[in-house]
Amino acid sequence: MTIALEIKDLHVEISDKEILKGVSLNIEHGEMAAIMGPNGAGKSTLASVLAGKEGYTITSGSIKYLGKNLLDMPIDERAAAGVFLAFQYPVEIPGVATSAFVRTALNAQRRHRGESELDGIEFLKLAREKAKELEMSEDFFQREVNVGFSGGEKKRAEIFQMSMLSPTLAILDETDSGLDIDTLKIVAAGINNLRSDKLCGIVITHYQRLLEHLKPDTIHILADGKIVKTGDKSLAILLEEKGYQGIIEAA
Amino acid sequence: MTNSSNIKNRYYQSYNDNQSLLPGLELSWIKRLRDDAITQFNQDGFPDKNVEEWNVHPCKGLSDTFYDPCQENNYEIDVKSIEKKDSNCLIRVIFLNGKVINIEHDTLPAGIKVNTLSFYLKNNPEFLKGKIKSANEYSEVRLSNIIDSRPQSIVALNTAFHEDGAIIHIDKNIEVPGFIELLHLGECEENTMKHIRSVIFLDKASKCEVLENIKQHKNNNVVFTSNVTDVHVSEGASLSFVRFIEGNSKNLHINNVHVQLDKDSKFISTSLINSKGQARAETRVNLLGENSSSKINILMMGTNNSLQESLTKVKHSTKNTKSDQIIRIILDENSRGSFQGKIRVDVGADGTLANMSGKSLLLSDNARVNSKPELEILADDVRCSHGVTVGSLNAEQLFYLRSRGIPENEARKLLINSFGNVIINNISTNLAKRAKNLMLEDSNKND
Ligand SMILES: Nc1ncnc2c1ncn2[C@@H]1O[C@H](COP(=O)(O)OP(=O)(O)OP(=O)(O)O)[C@@H](O)[C@H]1O
Ligand SMILES: [Mg+2]
Repeated sequence: MTIALEIKDLHVEISDKEILKGVSLNIEHGEMAAIMGPNGAGKSTLASVLAGKEGYTITSGSIKYLGKNLLDMPIDERAAAGVFLAFQYPVEIPGVATSAFVRTALNAQRRHRGESELDGIEFLKLAREKAKELEMSEDFFQREVNVGFSGGEKKRAEIFQMSMLSPTLAILDETDSGLDIDTLKIVAAGINNLRSDKLCGIVITHYQRLLEHLKPDTIHILADGKIVKTGDKSLAILLEEKGYQGIIEAA
Repeated sequence: MTNSSNIKNRYYQSYNDNQSLLPGLELSWIKRLRDDAITQFNQDGFPDKNVEEWNVHPCKGLSDTFYDPCQENNYEIDVKSIEKKDSNCLIRVIFLNGKVINIEHDTLPAGIKVNTLSFYLKNNPEFLKGKIKSANEYSEVRLSNIIDSRPQSIVALNTAFHEDGAIIHIDKNIEVPGFIELLHLGECEENTMKHIRSVIFLDKASKCEVLENIKQHKNNNVVFTSNVTDVHVSEGASLSFVRFIEGNSKNLHINNVHVQLDKDSKFISTSLINSKGQARAETRVNLLGENSSSKINILMMGTNNSLQESLTKVKHSTKNTKSDQIIRIILDENSRGSFQGKIRVDVGADGTLANMSGKSLLLSDNARVNSKPELEILADDVRCSHGVTVGSLNAEQLFYLRSRGIPENEARKLLINSFGNVIINNISTNLAKRAKNLMLEDSNKND
């Protein structure tokens, strides 16, 4: 298999404070990678930098996705190129209906890729299908984006957006937090449905449970702005036993 | 003699010189109405920054230029060239340069009377008596009980010089199917002034929707227009009123609506103000009857060097009345916006419920907004709330939208629209589609 995402010695600062201190990470086509690590380690920072959020200073290093320099691309172009971030804290947008938002996004991406836009009927058909897979009621199509959604509903809506947009690089930032056991299963199945030899996944989590469903190929421990250990799923089990401190010390 | 008092005198002179142009002067009560008004104007002049209603942007451009109120306009327009009447529109009155040029309607059910002011002055002047108020009736009563006519100088000028208007009279128990549109078109000579005086009278338990649609002038001459509308909503009646005000960079428009609400009546209004020049909309509501209610929604949008202003005065005069105000201001580039909103609860007006929410969205560092909410509460048992905020586009929201592939421009537009949606989505049924289309036309024009 070939490398799809290549992060090389990435250093990132926020307001003069270095958060990522030389992250290197390669992900192959079809690979599902998990990133675990203590609170404040920089996991969400890495996810945001991948998606293109402003306000970070990249002091050195590079990110290449499918041969292109990701850091040079505007946020929306990254999305059109297949990057999707499921937010740790999904943002509320009052006054915008969920279905209108997702349709605008999907058609913008299609336009950017030179594909034809979906009309209202085609869109609704697709949306219904995906909502059903995720066992979501269609009521939420008309609801304002994330407004008044429960924590679990917000996370499920992120996965709904992901399956509508069918990305090739999916970054899931603590999508499992706040989900009850049944919902976690549904969401995991939703993610697994998208898996293909094209999809690269980065799953950020604190818990073993989601990983049991997703069976990641690799697990990386990010601590204090660096990947300190990489392994397979046995690393997650070791982690449950020893905690981060034990692993970081051993590393 | 200073320039501004010199200009004031020219209006007085013009009034005396052009009496033949002003309809109704042969009627003694109309003559008194007009004479009193010009006298009041001559006394007060244009309001300056010492008048609290005008102290943010004191009548920019008015006090130093003479706008001829009696200039004849030779422009003509082919009625057929005007876009067709909306399918939900029952009656459309078309004004050109301050005069009605056409009234078109579908088959009219009984009990709906719509005609021009000049028609009534000629054929049935008695009908208008008391419906067109004299200028001093709208003076401000200050907390000190001083009666202050200065803020209403433009209304006085309008009362003196109005040439035409629309008279809408809905009989008892009549529910008007579809809305009534007052379409105002213009193409005037340089430095002219046009005054329109309209009346909306809803008899008991009637229901009506009215759109006042003020278009930007076709040519680029400096023009001042003033529309004053006297509204009376009788017991149990309900009026939905939408004002759409646009203008080009040379247009200066001042719009005054005075509403009197009887027992159990309702007034629901939406003002969409989007002028490239100067526009000022004043809404004064007097809740005179028990259980009457008023809703005032205002959306102002500014670009370039435009100035949009809005003033509301809601007066709770009796027990158990209710008012709501939602104001949204979106300003880009060098535009200016101001909102002054006053809620007054009179002595004895217990059980009053009054809310006001004002939010402004600044899209550029050079845009400026001024919000001034005021409460004057003289009763005890009252629930009032008001809040104003000013902000810019939310960076987290923008990032979220863009991370889904929505280009920055489109994402900004989506957020800007969502900010105004609370106003747009609250427009009454028959008018909703029309208002949305007008907004759309306008935003495309601005691209
Ligand atoms: N805007 C900001 N300004 C200053 N510091 C910030 C900012 N955003 C993040 N940080 C800091 O950067 C560090 C990394 O934050 P990040 O959110 O990436 O951690 P994380 O690994 O995702 O943690 P968690 O597991 O708690 O979600 C933290 O110390 C955080 O306080
Ligand atoms: Mg995080």
